[in-house]
Amino acid sequence: MTTPALLAVIAVCAPAAAALLLVLAPALRRQGAPAAVACIAASLASLGAALALALGRSPGEPAVRHVVPWLQAGSRTIAEVGVHVDGISAAMLVVVTLVALCVQVFSVAYMRGEARRGFGRYFAYHALFLFSMNLLVVAPNLLQLFVGWELVGLASYLLIGFYFAKPSAARAAVKAFWMTKLADMGILVGLVVLFVSTGSFEWTATPEPAVATAVTLLLFLGVMGKSAQFPLHVWLPDAMEGPTPVSALLHAATMVAAGVFLVVRAHPLFELAPTTGDVMLWVGAVTAAFAAGLALVQTDIKKVLAYSTCSQLGYMVAALGAGSAFAGFFHLGTHACFKALLFLAAGSVIHAVHSNELAEMGGLRRRMPLTAVAFGIGVLSLAGVPGLAGFFSKDLILTELEGRAGWVPWALLLLTAFATAFYMGRVFVLAFLGAPSARAGHAHEAGLAMTGPLIVLAVPSAVAGFFGGGLAAYVGASYEPHFGLTPLLASTLALAGIVAAVLVYGRGREVAFADALRRLDRAGAVDRAWKLLYSSALLWLSGVLGWFDRYVIDGLMNATGFATLEAGSAVRVVQTGRVRDYALAVVAGAILLSLWGVLS
Amino acid sequence: MTHDVLSLSVLVFLPLVGALLVAATPKQAAGLQRGITLLTTLAVAVVGVALCLRFDGSTAAVQFGEAAPWFTLPGGVPVHYRLGMDGLSVLLVGLTAVLGPIVVLSTWGHIHERVKEFMVWLLAMQTGMLGVFVSLDLILFYVFWETSLVPLYFILGIWGGERRLYATIKFFLYTLAGSLVMLVAVIWLIWTAGTTDVMRLLDVGAGLPLETQLWLFAAFALAFAIKVPVMPFHTWLPDAHTEAPTSGSVILAGVLLKMGTYGLVRFGIAMFPGAALEAAPWMMALGVAGIVYGAFLAMAQTDVKRLIACSSVSHLGYVVLGLFALTEAGLRGSLLQMVNHGLSTGLLFLLIGMIYERRHTRALDQYGGVAAVMPVFALFLVFAVLSSVGLPGLNGFVGEYLILLGTWQASPWMAAIAVTGVIFGAVYLLMATRKLLFGPLVHSENKALTDLNGREVVLMLPIVVLCVWMGVQPNAFLDRADGSLRDVQARVERARHLRTASIEVPPAHRLEIEAR
Repeated sequence: MTTPALLAVIAVCAPAAAALLLVLAPALRRQGAPAAVACIAASLASLGAALALALGRSPGEPAVRHVVPWLQAGSRTIAEVGVHVDGISAAMLVVVTLVALCVQVFSVAYMRGEARRGFGRYFAYHALFLFSMNLLVVAPNLLQLFVGWELVGLASYLLIGFYFAKPSAARAAVKAFWMTKLADMGILVGLVVLFVSTGSFEWTATPEPAVATAVTLLLFLGVMGKSAQFPLHVWLPDAMEGPTPVSALLHAATMVAAGVFLVVRAHPLFELAPTTGDVMLWVGAVTAAFAAGLALVQTDIKKVLAYSTCSQLGYMVAALGAGSAFAGFFHLGTHACFKALLFLAAGSVIHAVHSNELAEMGGLRRRMPLTAVAFGIGVLSLAGVPGLAGFFSKDLILTELEGRAGWVPWALLLLTAFATAFYMGRVFVLAFLGAPSARAGHAHEAGLAMTGPLIVLAVPSAVAGFFGGGLAAYVGASYEPHFGLTPLLASTLALAGIVAAVLVYGRGREVAFADALRRLDRAGAVDRAWKLLYSSALLWLSGVLGWFDRYVIDGLMNATGFATLEAGSAVRVVQTGRVRDYALAVVAGAILLSLWGVLS
Repeated sequence: MTHDVLSLSVLVFLPLVGALLVAATPKQAAGLQRGITLLTTLAVAVVGVALCLRFDGSTAAVQFGEAAPWFTLPGGVPVHYRLGMDGLSVLLVGLTAVLGPIVVLSTWGHIHERVKEFMVWLLAMQTGMLGVFVSLDLILFYVFWETSLVPLYFILGIWGGERRLYATIKFFLYTLAGSLVMLVAVIWLIWTAGTTDVMRLLDVGAGLPLETQLWLFAAFALAFAIKVPVMPFHTWLPDAHTEAPTSGSVILAGVLLKMGTYGLVRFGIAMFPGAALEAAPWMMALGVAGIVYGAFLAMAQTDVKRLIACSSVSHLGYVVLGLFALTEAGLRGSLLQMVNHGLSTGLLFLLIGMIYERRHTRALDQYGGVAAVMPVFALFLVFAVLSSVGLPGLNGFVGEYLILLGTWQASPWMAAIAVTGVIFGAVYLLMATRKLLFGPLVHSENKALTDLNGREVVLMLPIVVLCVWMGVQPNAFLDRADGSLRDVQARVERARHLRTASIEVPPAHRLEIEAR
C-alpha cells in the first residue's frame, strides 16, 4: 500500500476504532469523559492523516487507488472497497475532519450538563459519523460511497434523536430517516442500472446517453434527499431537534453537503447527461430562493440557519447543474467553514441564554463580544461581502450561471443573494444589537473549549476565498476571480441587504411582505403534502389491506379448511380434528417407515 | 460410511440423542434437562460450524456424503439413507446449528412449565430440520420434512398464547395440505424415474417433458410456497408467530421457513428448470406482491409480534423474487437473504420475547420511552431493526442489493416495485421502534423495567457478530455456495437454451435436419 493510501485508510479507520471501542466497552462509554477523549483523539489522528495526505500531494498528481475485492461471484468481482485519493477527496477530507474536530471540542463544553451516560453516547455517535463520512469521501466507487452515505444517514438519525425522550426529537429523527431513505431508493436503483449496463460501479463508466440520463436522474433523487432540495427538504428544519453542535456538523457543514460531493465525484457521469443538468439547475435555484424566503421569518435562530443551509445547498446544486463541478465544490468548502462557524456561535448563544428564540436574545454584543465577532464574520461571509470567503465562491456560481436557461436561475440566485444578506443581517441585529432581553442580561462567554473552535473556524470563513485558485489547481480545475458585472451586482446587493436589515430591524420594524412569508411558512404546504401522503395514502391503504387480509384472504382460507373438514366427515373415524392425533399419526408413520427399512 | 466424528450423521442425530437423554431424566429436574439440552445444542453447533468451515465451496460436488441401503419400495426401487452437503445447504446447516444454543438459552426466560417435554421437542425438531437440509434421498427428505413439523405443533399447542389452538390447527392444515400434494408428486416422480437419489433425480427432472415438469413443479412449489410463506398462503404465519412462545418464533422464522425457500431452489429450480423458467414470471409476481403486501400488513399492526411476522412475509418475498429472477446475482442474493432473514428476524423475535417476559404485553401502545430504562435493550433492538431494513455494513444490505440487481436483469419493472419494499420496511420498523423505545415514559408499569441480564446479552452476541461479519465480508459466506449456485445456473441456462431452440426450430424443419 502506498503512503497516500495508507494515510487515507488511517483517516477512515481511526474514528472507526474509536466507535468500535465505545460500543464494545460500555463501561468506558458510560463514564462520559473517556468517550470524549477517545473520540477527539481519533479525530485528531484523522485530521493529522488528512493534512499529511493533502500536503503531501502536489497539484495535478494522478489519483492513488488501493482496492480489494468485496463482493464476488465466483472469480468475477462485482464490487470493490478501498480508497481513492485525488485532489477532491484529499481536500474534502481536510474540510470534514477539521470541522468535525472543532465541533467535537466545542461539544465538550456544550454538552457538559448532560448525564455521563448521554455524554458518552453522544461522542460514540460522533465517532461513527466521522468514520462513515470519511468512508464516503475516500470511496473508490459509487457503491462504497453509497455505503458511507447510508451510514452517515444512520448517524444523523441517532444524533437528531439524541434527546429521544422528547417526542418531537424522536419524530424528527424518524422523519429524517424516512425522507432520506425515500430519496436513497433513487441511488439504489441508479446503481443497479449503472451496473447492469456497464458492469461496474465506477463513476468513470461510460453508459450510452439515455442510460446516463436515467442513472444521473436517479442519483440526483438521492442528492435531493440528502442535500435537502425542494420538495424533499422538509426534514432539515426538523432536524434542528438535535444538539446544536450536531446541527453544525451534520446538518450544515458536512453530511448535507454529501449530496453535492456525490455529484462532484460522479461528474464524468453527469457530464454525459445534459438533461439532468437542467433539472439540477432549476431545482437548485428554486430551493435557494424558496428557502431564503422562509429563513426571513423564522423566530428560532437555528431554523434560520437551517433554511439558510437549504438555500446555500441550492446554490451548489445549481452550479453543478450548470456543469461547473468546481464552483459547487468551492462553495461546499467555504460554506462548510462559515456555516459551522455560524452554528457553533449560535450554539454559544443558546448555551448562554438557554433559548433558541431570537426574541429572548438581543444586545448580546456587550456580554459576548467574541461570539458576536465570530457570528458577524459568518454573516458577512455568508452574505457574500467582498473579500470574505463566501463572496468568492458565490460569485463564481453566479458567473457560471450567466446566460443559462434564459438568465432565470441567475436572476433568482441574485435575488436570493440579497435575501441572504437581509435575513442574516436580521438575525445579527436581533441577537446581538439593541437592548438585551431579560435572559440575555445574564449571558456570558463560555470557556476556551467553546471559543477556541469559533476562532479556528473564523479564520477560513474570512480568508478561504483567496485560496480558490490554489484549490482549483489542486483538484485539477481552473479558476481566476474575475470582476465583471455579476460580482459587482452581487456584492452591491449583499451590502444593500445588510444595510436594509439594519435599517429595518435596528428600528424594531418589520418588512411589509413578512406577513405573506409567515403565512407561507405556517401553511407548510410541502410538509403537509408529505404528511398527507404518509397518513392518508400509506396508513390508510395499510388499514384497508389489513382488513382485506383478515376477512377476505384469511376468511377464504379458513372456509376452505372448514369445508374440507366437513367433507371429510365420512372418514370421521380417523379424522378426529385433534392436532395431537394427526401429529402422532405422522410420527407413527415415520417410525413404521424406518422400521420397515431396518427389517427389509 | 465414514467414522469421523465430524460427519453429517453425527450432526443430524446428536440432537435426537440429547432428546433421549433428556427424556430419561426425572420430571422435576428442570435444571438438568436444560443443561443437557444446552450442551447438546452447543455440541451440534461445534460440529455444524466445523463442517461448514471444512466445506469446499468452489465445487458443486456433494461433500461429507454418506449412503447406506435402507429399504426397497414396492416395484424394486431401492431407498437409501443418503446424506450430503452442497452449496445450497451449507449456509442453512450452519444457521440451524448456530441458532440451536441461542434458542435453548432464550427458553430460560419463558419456559417454566413442562420443561422436559419442551426440551425433547426442541431437540427432536433440530434433528428434523438438519435432516431436511442434508438428506439427498427423496424419501428420507420427505420423512424429515414431516417429522420436523410435528414438534412445532406441540410447542405451539402446549406452550403457546391464548389462541394457540386456533393457530396450531391452522398451521397444521396449511402444511398438511402442502405436504399431501408434495407426497403425490414424490410418489409419481419416484415411480417414473425409478430412483430416489436426489442427485440423479435432478438430471431426470430436467429431462422430463415440459408439461410433466410443470405439474411436478406446481406440486412441489405449492408445498414450499405454503412453508415460506408466499402470498396468498401466508395467513397461517402471523397467527403462528403471535401465539408461539419466543423460542418457537425464533425457530420458525430462523429455520423452518427456510425449508420452504431451500425446497424452492433444490426441488423447484434445480430439478425442474424448464418449468421454473415457465413459472418464473408468476413466481416473481408473487414475490413482489408479498414484498409490498407484507409491508402494508406490517404497517397496520398494533401487536409488535404480528408486525414482525408480517415483515417476514415481506422479506421472504425478496427471497422468492431473487430465486425466480434466475440470474447469477438473484440466486446469490436470495441464498444470502435466507440466512440474513433468519438472523435479523430471529434477533427481533428474541428481543420482543425479552420485553414480553417483563411486561406481558405485545401491544405497541403499552410501551414508549423504554430506551430510558433499558438502554442495552434499546441498543440491541435498534441494531436488529437496522439489520432488518438493510443498512449497508450489516447483513441485510448485500442480499437485498444482489436480489434487486438480479431482478433488474430479468425484469426492471419487478425490481422497481420491489425497491419500494425497502422504504416501506423502514417505515414500519422505525415507526415501531419509535413507539417502543422513544418518547416519554407514559405508562408507569414501564418505569420499573429491568434492563437485559448477562444471559440475554450473551445469547444474542453470536447473531450480532454474524450480522456484522456478513455485512462486512459477504464473500466469506457466498464463496461456500458458489460451486452449487453455478451448477443451478447452468441447469437453468440449459433449459433456457432448449426452450429457445424448440421455439426457433419448427418441427417440420427439425425433421429435415434429422433426415440429413
